[in-house]
Amino acid sequence: MYTLRRWWDRHRLRIILASMALGSALLIRQTQATPIFEAYQLVARVFQSNPTQQNLLENAQFQELQQRLTELESQNQRLRELLGYVSESKQSGITAPVVGRSADHWWQQLLLGRGSNDGIKVGYVVMAPGGVVGRITSVTPNTSHVLLLSDPSSRIGVTISRSRYMGYMRGQSTSRAVMEFFDKVPDVRRGDVVSTSTLSQLFPAGMPVGRIESVNLNKSPAPEAIIELSAPVSFLEWAVVYPHDQSAPPMAPTPSSDQKPPL
Amino acid sequence: MKSDSLVSHTWRDNPIQRLLVNCAVTIGSLLVCLLILPTRFPGMELASIGPNWLLIWVVAWSVNRSTLQGALAGITLGLIQDGMTAPSPTHILSLVAVGVLTARLRKGRYIQEDFISVALIAFGTAVVAETVMAIQYCFQADRSLIEIWRYHQLIALSSAILSSLWAPVVYFPLNRWWQWIESLEQV
Repeated sequence: MYTLRRWWDRHRLRIILASMALGSALLIRQTQATPIFEAYQLVARVFQSNPTQQNLLENAQFQELQQRLTELESQNQRLRELLGYVSESKQSGITAPVVGRSADHWWQQLLLGRGSNDGIKVGYVVMAPGGVVGRITSVTPNTSHVLLLSDPSSRIGVTISRSRYMGYMRGQSTSRAVMEFFDKVPDVRRGDVVSTSTLSQLFPAGMPVGRIESVNLNKSPAPEAIIELSAPVSFLEWAVVYPHDQSAPPMAPTPSSDQKPPL
Repeated sequence: MKSDSLVSHTWRDNPIQRLLVNCAVTIGSLLVCLLILPTRFPGMELASIGPNWLLIWVVAWSVNRSTLQGALAGITLGLIQDGMTAPSPTHILSLVAVGVLTARLRKGRYIQEDFISVALIAFGTAVVAETVMAIQYCFQADRSLIEIWRYHQLIALSSAILSSLWAPVVYFPLNRWWQWIESLEQV
């Protein structure tokens, strides 16, 4: 008993400090590091508002026009693809600055400077000049995390715009991604535009993703193609977040034997 | 001069205030590392991979401390990094490995304490940390082994080079501070 007491007296301070450190770390983990990202956004905001008022306004107008153009382009493409179908009503997006990247090297993530205070929710789709970038995976009051399409854990159903052949795409941690077709002999060429398919649950159908860079029809389980993602993720400064209801289409984007492309 | 030293000596003589100031500086340095982590400043990245600031902090902490303290720092920072990214392949294991390894290295007196040795330790432990992460990914079925190890080569090399180059920036001021506090404790 006495030795225990003496041991406690000697190490009391260290044990208290260590348990406090562990406890607060656990708290940060359970809250998805919300305090850290809020502090980060607070610091980053200082660097964001550097340009003068006029400059900022011009910049914002330019950005807005660019975003609207992108939106119209994607809308146009969607309409062209769905020719004859009724398109869903146009949704307005939330423009957000890109303030950071992933906090480690294995995840391909973006950190946006807008959060739940601006109406962003988990599952929303993130677009950038060029096409789809990814989707929101977690939100704090003033920041939100985007899981990029280039992350190996993000898989989406995609379709070749020209021939309507379908497959699924998985990221490769670079600006290239691999597409696996559901069919043995798909009609696909270099340069074909790839967009999200109607089977995709995580993304609305018909949004531009990238272009086919090369095709390997002899790949053993299923034919493969390398897709060059069209949005320049590595030097992105702004992104637009669009609302998306995940439970809308009934089918999952994972490949299965009974899913055949409409011919 | 005299009155100035009298005023500034007050918190140094009081053990509790000294502890509080020490804790504040330690946590503050950690917070700075955490806030730099999501940034990719031009000139501070290699193939869009930045230095592993948490690893540098764990190395700086564990160099002159016991194995248990190194492991504790690894667990704490691993939990925080899990919160900042995703907890499925945990960062705790890699950072604990870094802490324990660094503390053991110092125990054995294999390496003299200076800038170069800290940079070397950071280089080696960065490779170890990324390897531990890659091994964890191997047990998850969501990517192929070829992809994991090809990507591992890229990350391990870039992260090791950048972390070793930036390690002295964190290590030198922090180590000076802790040494100074320790000298005050002994007086």
